[in-house]
Amino acid sequence: MAQPLATAAQASLAALRAEGVSKTFGVGDTLVRALSDISLTLASGTVVALLGPSGAGKSTLVKALGLVSLPERGRIWMAGELVAEDGRALADLRDLRRQHLGFVFQKPNLIPFLTARQNVQVACEIGAQSNPRQRADELLAYLEVAHRASAMPATLSGGEQQRVAIARALANRPALIFADEPTAALDKVRGRQVMELFGRIAHEQGAAVLVVTHDHRTLDVFDEQHEMEDGRLLPVAA
Amino acid sequence: MNLALLDIRHNAGRFVATSFGVGLLFTVVLAMAGIYKGLVADATELVHAAGADLWVVQQQTRGPFADVSRLDPSVERRVAALPGVRRARGFTFLVLQRDLAGRSRRFALVGLGWPDDRGADLPLIAGRSLRQAHGELIVDASLGLAVGTKLELAREEFLVVGLTRQLLSSGGDAVIAATVADAQLITEEAPSDAIRTERFRRAERLRTTDLGRTQPALAALIVDPSWRPPVAASAPLAAVLVDLQTPIDSGRVRAALASWPDVSVYTTAEQDGLLLDGVVEKPRRQLALFALILIVTSSVLIAAVVYMMTLDKTHDLAVLKLIGARRRRIAAMVVQQAWLMGMSGYAIAVLIGSQAFSHFPRRVVLSDGALAGVGALVMVVSTLASLLGVAYALRVDAARALEG
Repeated sequence: MAQPLATAAQASLAALRAEGVSKTFGVGDTLVRALSDISLTLASGTVVALLGPSGAGKSTLVKALGLVSLPERGRIWMAGELVAEDGRALADLRDLRRQHLGFVFQKPNLIPFLTARQNVQVACEIGAQSNPRQRADELLAYLEVAHRASAMPATLSGGEQQRVAIARALANRPALIFADEPTAALDKVRGRQVMELFGRIAHEQGAAVLVVTHDHRTLDVFDEQHEMEDGRLLPVAA
Repeated sequence: MNLALLDIRHNAGRFVATSFGVGLLFTVVLAMAGIYKGLVADATELVHAAGADLWVVQQQTRGPFADVSRLDPSVERRVAALPGVRRARGFTFLVLQRDLAGRSRRFALVGLGWPDDRGADLPLIAGRSLRQAHGELIVDASLGLAVGTKLELAREEFLVVGLTRQLLSSGGDAVIAATVADAQLITEEAPSDAIRTERFRRAERLRTTDLGRTQPALAALIVDPSWRPPVAASAPLAAVLVDLQTPIDSGRVRAALASWPDVSVYTTAEQDGLLLDGVVEKPRRQLALFALILIVTSSVLIAAVVYMMTLDKTHDLAVLKLIGARRRRIAAMVVQQAWLMGMSGYAIAVLIGSQAFSHFPRRVVLSDGALAGVGALVMVVSTLASLLGVAYALRVDAARALEG
């Protein structure tokens, strides 16, 4: 990829800053505090691991920071702009997701009636890229799955599907990529390849990448690690 | 990139099967519209084929098609004598069921005013118009008779000399045209026993009167088959058709006829109105209600299928929303699928209709207007049917893409 996905100006800023983020589910006796007063900064060009046991609140934090499910308390800045405060959106969240964020899921979640190329192309179209098909082909080539561009998702291997999903996440040159257990469905070798790919994307493209993972064998890939427990963030050494 | 088309291509089997079902429903809707148009065409065909400027009928009746009308034959001569009238023709009309060429057939017998009206204005497709005052018939081709066929009616032999196409009564019965005299002969046919019985009853009635008692020779005369009482009325006409010298004479002739105490007069357009309001109105409403039920059924079917297709795509819609797809793109995908289903069903309906409707017992008229109207209706129905799916698709939470 000749063209960087994030600009130099974006890279000089914190891609994301969260302060005092809290979220609860249920009421009364059933109230669960999913996130408690979490503050976090994701610098551009870094790949960050988010560790923790099941139920620690990792996915809830990804949803909150990804502006999918806003936290009830706390503030979120993206590229220096305050975009959410105490459960209120201060910008068009759909536009923000389209222009600045990329998501990779535990399952690839490719749209089954679109080919690999079309899965990426649709994201490029949504992001109003000037030449969506060409952009899709470039991304598939970057992720080394160009040879499967015309294949339907059902005919792709797990690793190929996840690479296509990552290509889709990169479609609109996001400043921030959230990956929620992206290697859970992959074997050890392919899992490591995907994690290394995130490191490459962060360092080559200047994007901030937050990866939720249980896999401690790949921690050497990450620039920074955080651990969560009972809805709280416990910083660990890089 | 059109997501609706790509999704349909991926689920082609289900889409084709559903479109075929929708197509069958639309076929019936199209048939309802065509049958109604056919009813109107059938009802008014004969009125237009007669080619008259004015129709004179019995006063306060709506004859000769929507009502029984009996006019004294002298009316024909009286009308012909009016200034502005170029020609007056007698006309009779009656629906009969008789044996024709070995089969019991129902038909509308039309009497034409010989010699002025020989059926030259009828839509002939074979043979010729009438050349003789007696013994010739023009029949509609739907009766399956050929030119040259000899038919026995009222113990007389008639020759089929001409064939018409789609010349039917408002009830859909094929028309047979003859001279007024032949039509009356056929209409008034009675069995020999009934004629003999009537002669004896006539003689008995005469014996109970002073005339019979004082002039016994009358009894022999009255049972003579060749004798016709000079005071007996001639067989009535159903109408007198008036051809004007110029169209501007219409008002003047109508005004003159309006002053006559024994007739009513209608223009061809008014005859159309009488037929459509009186004869076709109830079938029209029935067809319209039937079509309405089918349209609602089609809408529900499309709505259910599109909704199910949308439900199946819940996760994909969540993914699209998560990556920032605009609401109008999501809605367009659902609406376009409903449109494609509706249009496919409509195309199937037109295809089936074009092959099948000609075999229907009653005329089905698929005019360009009806086709365009049903096509527009299909688009409206498809759009409305998609609303449920659109509402669901727009409610899908992007967060569902992050689940499982």
